[in-house]
Amino acid sequence: MLYDLRNSDSLVRWLVTLLLATLGTSYLFGAWMVGLYAGFTPRKVAETYGPAGETAMVMQMPPETTLVTERHVSMAEMDEEQHHVDLDLLVQDTHVHMPMYAVLAACLSVIVLGLAISRAAGLGIITLLFAAPWLDFAGMWLTKLVSPHFAIVTLAGGWAMALGYCLVAALATYQMWWRKS
Amino acid sequence: MKALVLGAALAALLHITPTVVLVKRQDAVTRLLPGAEEFVARELHLSSADSRRLHDAVGWEPPDGVVTFYVGKQRGQASSALVFMRIDSQHGPIELAVGYDARGAIRGVEVTKATVEMKPWVLEALRAGLTDSYRGNTTQQAPSGAEKVKPRVGAMPGYMAELIDKGVMHANAAYRLFYGRK
Repeated sequence: MLYDLRNSDSLVRWLVTLLLATLGTSYLFGAWMVGLYAGFTPRKVAETYGPAGETAMVMQMPPETTLVTERHVSMAEMDEEQHHVDLDLLVQDTHVHMPMYAVLAACLSVIVLGLAISRAAGLGIITLLFAAPWLDFAGMWLTKLVSPHFAIVTLAGGWAMALGYCLVAALATYQMWWRKS
Repeated sequence: MKALVLGAALAALLHITPTVVLVKRQDAVTRLLPGAEEFVARELHLSSADSRRLHDAVGWEPPDGVVTFYVGKQRGQASSALVFMRIDSQHGPIELAVGYDARGAIRGVEVTKATVEMKPWVLEALRAGLTDSYRGNTTQQAPSGAEKVKPRVGAMPGYMAELIDKGVMHANAAYRLFYGRK
């Protein structure tokens, strides 16, 4: 343990509590946003990050000759944006989100350094915190480039992120405010 | 700790601002497909050869290989069409709706989305008459909206006009090469 969060100054404990509360709130909204734009099932994630459109689930390679399909649509359907992340947007998303995820994982890891837990547990939680964004984006890229079946990796990344946060928040809150020695 | 704070600040600075709707898609459809009684989505899943053809023409191809035209029909006949086109930049994406009349000339261009950061620049370019310059152009003509508004707007609105020109150029090429495909 590099420092002891349990016996740290109340200012430090207050800072960590507020940081966890703020991050927790942003994670809740993050989950809401995922529900709105990508979904929580492998199929929904594959539709969002895989090749375009529903037909893409069965047609990943370009056809030999250009294929034209027509279907009637309502005004409302045209208004509805089918949220789909294409290659350009995924490049942009990766560029924008990976640094932020790294900073979040680092913040939570600094909290882990002050927890009274075994070295192995600390190592495990820190690894989990950093593995989550890697899994998240690896899943998106593999879904895009290799197979829609890799959507499950993105879901695993999302759940790993939630698990990592919950572990740190629960342990830190308990040790800071209840188990003082 | 310093590195952490610096990293957080850098990440915040690099973050692309959220997207805002400038014109609702429904309003863009009403303006660009006037009088349409029914709508058809015509999706073209491009072959590798056609993607390459498009790329050779304008240096762009749809990343997922699909171009969707929305066709407005009157009494069962196609009367107009539009395509939504996204242009990415380091400031975030812009979305355009480019509408064509029955002869294949540009009926109008609507900027439907931009980011919070880009919105004032886009609006300045639009106020300078950017989209007026596309009206009536054929799909063979190179869009020159930026050239026309640049003397009257700042540097960033001028840059936005260039991006919008590029989007119109991509839409024109897609229309010219593939719209008539059966």
